[in-house]
Amino acid sequence: MAASDESQLQALFLKGLAGDAAAHRAFLSAAAAALRAYFRNRLRGAAEDAEDLVQETLIAVHTKRDTFDPRYPLSAWLYAIARYRLIDFVRRRKRRGVAVPIEDADAALFSAPAQDAAEARRDVAQLLERLPEKQRRAIQLIKIEQKSVREAAAITGWSESDLKVSAHRGLKRLAQLFREEERA
Amino acid sequence: MKTDDLIAALAQDAEGARSRKRTRLALIAALGLGLIAAVCVVWGLGVMRGRDAMMPVMMKSGFSALLAAASLPLLARLSQPGRPIRSALIVIAGVLAVTAAAFVTAMMGEAPEARMRAMTGGGFPWCLVFIPILAIPAAAGLFWVVRGLAPTRLAAAGAAVGAAAGSLGAIAYSLYCPIDSPAFVTLWYTAGIGVSAALGALVGSRLLRW
Repeated sequence: MAASDESQLQALFLKGLAGDAAAHRAFLSAAAAALRAYFRNRLRGAAEDAEDLVQETLIAVHTKRDTFDPRYPLSAWLYAIARYRLIDFVRRRKRRGVAVPIEDADAALFSAPAQDAAEARRDVAQLLERLPEKQRRAIQLIKIEQKSVREAAAITGWSESDLKVSAHRGLKRLAQLFREEERA
Repeated sequence: MKTDDLIAALAQDAEGARSRKRTRLALIAALGLGLIAAVCVVWGLGVMRGRDAMMPVMMKSGFSALLAAASLPLLARLSQPGRPIRSALIVIAGVLAVTAAAFVTAMMGEAPEARMRAMTGGGFPWCLVFIPILAIPAAAGLFWVVRGLAPTRLAAAGAAVGAAAGSLGAIAYSLYCPIDSPAFVTLWYTAGIGVSAALGALVGSRLLRW
């Protein structure tokens, strides 16, 4: 953040604190862009995780905005919260045991050798039953029936980003279920 | 939810930021109620020292109050994101240096054969155990208030909570503590507060998550 950006951002933030909704909105948008860059840099490739974190951090920035003291730089405050949310995210993920980046989970679940495909499909089908409806549908359409996101959106009537997120979350959950099965 | 939708929703809620005054009040309430609760425990057990011990009790609780005051700037800074903590650490280091000097002076003032007794108080230093126990009420309140703020270094913030609460516990303990030797007090009260700080750091990373 350049110095002029910093003072501009701070001016918006303080106006927002005083109750100016438009300024608050402008501040949040600018903060979102800065946070997106920050998280994407640190979670190489995992754009959806980065966006989840952007949203979590925006909520934290909003609900904890009274902890900002104008005597100190706004960027230090903002990035301290971002850093905390990132650490918390990594910790949560570790605790759930989902360390597999999403691309690998994808490969692990759906690139079984051809002769095992039928067998594997059955396993996945069983595990799929245990997912929430929305995630199951998204995975069924996009990952198993190999439809494009746009086709899937046309079939279900859900938005494309909604479908992508659901598929992504569903895959994460599936990866977790797989591990639990293996351990059991 | 799309990020833009989220931003629109949050912007709707532009009013209603908590006032800083309320936060300060909550902090003072946690400190005050924690101290009162700890004093009530000592009083309830019927082990308070009598009027004749007024002077040494005042000295010891005054010393503990000084340590409490020294820990508060650090606690305030670690409760809020992006604050520099150097000056707060310097305050604590300064108070600890004065404490160490007082300890050495007190030891020099004792006859060589009496030094050991002045330092150990002639038994196990129970304040190592009782100060952290008497710190619990204040720690509970402080953990609650600090978590409602936005600590971003949880173990450090937990240590600051432990130090502040331990100092209040030491004030309450001084109402009972039968040993008045300055060497004992400067050494073991500080150590008891240190134990509280260490325990605070241990539980802080769990209790302070938000």
